[in-house]
Amino acid sequence: MFSQEIDKKIKKISLLVLSIAGVCFLIGYFGLHNRVTDVGYRPVQPVPFSHKLHAGDMGVKCMYCHTSVEKSAHSPVPSTSTCMNCHIAIKTESPKLKMVRDSYENNTPIEWKRIHALPDYVHFDHSRHIRSQIDCESCHGKVETMGVVSQFKPMNMGFCLDCHRNPEAHIIPARPISGIFTGIKANSYFDSTAKAVLAKVEPMTHPQFGAFMSEIPKQEVEGIPTPKHPGYGPENCSSCHH
Amino acid sequence: MEEQKKKGFPYIKIIIGLAASVFIILVLTGEKTWFSDEPPLQVVDDMDNQFKDKAQVGNTFFADRKADRDPLPNTFPRGGVQYPLDKSDFEKADSVNGKNPLPASDFVLARGKNRFETMCSPCHNNDGQGNGEVVKRGFQNPPNLRADLTRMKSDGLIYHVISSGQNIMPSYADKLSENDRWTVIHYIRKMQAEGVQEVKQTTK
Repeated sequence: MFSQEIDKKIKKISLLVLSIAGVCFLIGYFGLHNRVTDVGYRPVQPVPFSHKLHAGDMGVKCMYCHTSVEKSAHSPVPSTSTCMNCHIAIKTESPKLKMVRDSYENNTPIEWKRIHALPDYVHFDHSRHIRSQIDCESCHGKVETMGVVSQFKPMNMGFCLDCHRNPEAHIIPARPISGIFTGIKANSYFDSTAKAVLAKVEPMTHPQFGAFMSEIPKQEVEGIPTPKHPGYGPENCSSCHH
Repeated sequence: MEEQKKKGFPYIKIIIGLAASVFIILVLTGEKTWFSDEPPLQVVDDMDNQFKDKAQVGNTFFADRKADRDPLPNTFPRGGVQYPLDKSDFEKADSVNGKNPLPASDFVLARGKNRFETMCSPCHNNDGQGNGEVVKRGFQNPPNLRADLTRMKSDGLIYHVISSGQNIMPSYADKLSENDRWTVIHYIRKMQAEGVQEVKQTTK
């Protein structure tokens, strides 16, 4: 069909195109695709629980169910008894809730699928961040608008460090829907005093000890987590990789 | 030669254009590629998943697969305080719980407001007068906390109700720590001092 010269050319060009497409595919699939960055992971849960209905429409605060998030590192999935606080009287016949009722009666946990999972060599402490009045939305997105929850942020090391280095640009201060205790002055995260404190501090004061961390305030009442003053997050390795 | 060379070039443009558009469509747009119910791919599994017990994760070592073990009978966690009274022990509530140990400081009232609006407002509403969002969906309406029925109750009795529940209200001992319960009582007292109001506030 073509002359030999052109045939060679076509072979060369198709090889080039194929290799470019291959590189694009590799970069796209292993670098950008959501299955690698985890963003958009939306598993089918055993019970079709809707955060949009419970948190969005009804205004139940995040911390009604995820109770110990301000006291422990792990933000717990609530026990079935939390569901049954209300569902003992509401939608008692609903087939969607059969698994919840069975779980409550038989004392067996529901096996929810975990969405946000950090690598096991990273220590993330929820309570520390909640006490800094950082809203859940900063990492989890607007969960109260999600019918089925999916991961919103990549949650890799770069994502963490972006915020630790430049909190003002990334952090969403506590919103009322979260139920986060903000102290006497609500949403004081970016008020004038907080900004003055941030302005005085060099982010990397000492490379060995990491960034400035605001002092943990004295506990005013035993058992009540006191909201702390904002500051930069630490940047030294051992603060997250114990 | 020159003309033949030119003939070859449109193919590359078309192919590159097609490949690029397919790539962009596949990777960057569309619900099907944005959301996935498949677990994330681990290209290199460094030490991401270590063989150890983690909170709220199944464990094949036990027959019921619970890694978080249930407490043994007649025990409670170290450092934990068990509420000593049963749901029906109304008479003992005053002598056991006593008076509110916390001062009604700004901090305590702020905490009480925060806890009330988080834990109590689904039924009692933000203003404590009942008819919250859960009640609107068929739950039994609780009494108005600003009215005389609750105002006449002692601190110890309200503490008892929060700790062990009353009628259809469940126990909130697992959700509110001892001092949190006292802060909520301070906040309820503050609302009662304001008196019964026309319904304006809602849960949201």
